[in-house]
Amino acid sequence: MSDSVNLTIDRGEILGLIGPNGAGKTSLFNLISGVLRPDSGSIYLNGVPIDAAALYRRARLGIARTWQNMLLFRTMTVLENLLIAPRSYPGESILRVVFAQGTVRNAEARTRDRAMTTLARMGLEQTAKEMVVDLPFGQQKLIGLARTLMNDGPVLLLDEPMAGVEGAAYETMQRVVREEAESGRAVCVVEHNVSFIRDLCSRAVFMANGKILQDGTVEELIASSALTELYFGV
Amino acid sequence: MLDPVILAQILWTGIATSAPYVLMTVGFALTLKVAGLWNFAHAGLMAIAFYTMFFAINFLAVPVVVALLLAIVLTGAASLVIEIYGLQVLRDRGSGNLTFFIFTLILSEFIIYVITLLFGTEPETLFKSILSPVTIIGNVAVSDWDTLAVLVAACGLALLYAFLTWTREGQFLNAVADNARLAELYGISAKRAWRVVSVIAAFFIVASMYLIGTHGGVVPNSPLELILTAVIGTLLGGIGRVFAAAAAAVFLGLIQSFSILIIDSRWQNLLLYGVLFATILLFPRGVRLPRFRFALAGR
Amino acid sequence: MEYLATIGVLIAIYVILSSSYDLVIGYGGLSTVAHPIFFAVGAYTAGLLAIHSGIPAVLNVILGGVAAMIASVLLAASALRVSGDYLLIASLGFQLGLLQLIKNLDFTGGPGGLTAIPSTVTGAARTPFFLVVSGLLAVATVMGIRAIVNGPYGRAITAMRDEELAFTALGRDATSMKIVIFAIGCGIAGIAGGVYAYYFQYISPDQFEVLQSAAILTMVVLGGMGTTLGPVVGAVLLLAIPQAITFLNLPPGIMAPTQGIIFTVLVLLFLFLRPQGIIGLARKTL
Repeated sequence: MSDSVNLTIDRGEILGLIGPNGAGKTSLFNLISGVLRPDSGSIYLNGVPIDAAALYRRARLGIARTWQNMLLFRTMTVLENLLIAPRSYPGESILRVVFAQGTVRNAEARTRDRAMTTLARMGLEQTAKEMVVDLPFGQQKLIGLARTLMNDGPVLLLDEPMAGVEGAAYETMQRVVREEAESGRAVCVVEHNVSFIRDLCSRAVFMANGKILQDGTVEELIASSALTELYFGV
Repeated sequence: MLDPVILAQILWTGIATSAPYVLMTVGFALTLKVAGLWNFAHAGLMAIAFYTMFFAINFLAVPVVVALLLAIVLTGAASLVIEIYGLQVLRDRGSGNLTFFIFTLILSEFIIYVITLLFGTEPETLFKSILSPVTIIGNVAVSDWDTLAVLVAACGLALLYAFLTWTREGQFLNAVADNARLAELYGISAKRAWRVVSVIAAFFIVASMYLIGTHGGVVPNSPLELILTAVIGTLLGGIGRVFAAAAAAVFLGLIQSFSILIIDSRWQNLLLYGVLFATILLFPRGVRLPRFRFALAGR
Repeated sequence: MEYLATIGVLIAIYVILSSSYDLVIGYGGLSTVAHPIFFAVGAYTAGLLAIHSGIPAVLNVILGGVAAMIASVLLAASALRVSGDYLLIASLGFQLGLLQLIKNLDFTGGPGGLTAIPSTVTGAARTPFFLVVSGLLAVATVMGIRAIVNGPYGRAITAMRDEELAFTALGRDATSMKIVIFAIGCGIAGIAGGVYAYYFQYISPDQFEVLQSAAILTMVVLGGMGTTLGPVVGAVLLLAIPQAITFLNLPPGIMAPTQGIIFTVLVLLFLFLRPQGIIGLARKTL
């Protein structure tokens, strides 16, 4: 659970969120994306309060996130997983399907192009027609990220994207996250992998027991011995 | 109309008549609490319980106690088999709620069809006569059946309460009800808890069917209607709150009893459903009276 | 000949019912058993309008569908507020409660049922007419549902069923979508009810009880949930097998439970051994 948290993330910034297990990092993500409701306090997107907005509305406003357990759509292919992901989709209104077939067809074609481009960024175009569940773990994580990137909104929340990932997938993920930040998104990453945080994040925040204990550059946080003790347990 | 004697009579008869429903609701609600399952197989088990006793008493001519034991053994065994070879298999497969519903409902129907084949569709009672000796206490007619019903229900509730609160097995049931996976981490077997519950439910089912079968005619389809009261009581009491469900069953019985004063008897059933509708729309999480502030159960 | 034609109409009506039910539970993943009650709402609406008003038959049937749709939206909107699982019990309660109401009201004909629903077509042309109408509606239903579930809408439904949380976090209103699917499925059942009322000219509450829920459920489970042809196969089987059994000339007291036993056993076997049904592909599991 989160206790009293004050946090601001800027466009183009990659904020690292680190801390021991149970610190409340995922809870914070859940609060921001709308899975949980806060007992008190507010959440602002570009200065506009969004606490009243339901989970799906926040996604439409542009808060995109990944999940620790990926939550990929199991009975669908890679491409289908991505086609479902953009923020608005005319093909999903029954009325439009019946009465505005041209619009639906165009949107479908455009989304397909975007999906293939996103896959290409990850070097995974060839997996488009495969079932997601048939892919190796590392590729599945990249697909999870690709799916989230189909939401082209201003905020990107990544929940332990590196967990269990190594090698080429690791490099790809770092590159893509950096590109996203450079294109003007506010990115926040929860990670245990400290070198990932160090390579990628300009700023980091250390959480424990639901509170933010320290906020600063990654170097400052790593240098603090009190935090290291907390992280690795006493 | 407001004659205290009449009111007392209605009150007493209402409580007594609701006793078997209390027992049935408790078994149902307990299964929902611990296994997270709306177990419609209870209807089939009720049929097994009744017809076993019916057969034993009327065809095998054994004493009532033996018939009861036979029913407990058969119903308990059936319940256990359903749990181990049916429900657990579906759980291992990760089946959804609808699958469990289909399985339990269709299984009950299967059992009831078999029983229809064996016993026909004529209403049957456990004993040839359902007349019960009546004693007058303070101008209120109290039949032996009434007394037995209330006693059995009260004992059943007391025993269950004692079991759940003071025995380790009972506390395991509570733990599994709250969070099966967490309980497993502490070394409590969820499977065992589910099996224990399936056997406990059988006891309550046999008790309720004995009372019902000695009070009126039963046809093979009766359990499907009876189980509705259990569902409504469970909903009213709030999912996960077994004793509140019991109270709700009494409450429902009393509403039906007292409503005779105001409305025609043919609207009785409708009243029950009206209550159900109101519950669904207004109290989907059960009625919460300020005194009954239990912690929210895991489901 | 007349007899076979009636079976034909029944098969068509049940294809409509099972397909629309499959849309709701197989594709939409909604737990509900109240399909027969929407069938009933359509039948009673059309029947009552036929008896008491001068509205043309086609309109009555459509109004039956609309009434069913409205009822379903009311149910789904209240129940889904709580949770998706709650819909199961709420739908059961709704079905039984509404039936109880119908049994107790006089103008619906009470427990005896609604009789003497006026006929639209009379004479020799009647049976072929209804056969054609119901047959066309059945084909339209199957193809219509197929069109809905292919393409982007179907993709959305599948994703919602696979991982509702992720689906919602991608910006979709899952609850709305569920209500829409439920409404479409139940509306179609309502239209089937209207046709049923006009053909048989007699409807009664016990035609829409839990046993009917189980029958439609059986059709979908046996045929294969979440498939186009599954419900069709299921409907044909469920109506054809009892016909085959009648040839054995068992006494009625034995025949009804025997039929019941055959179907329940089939459902149980399929549930455990082949959950995807006759038509279903191996990768879909219940």
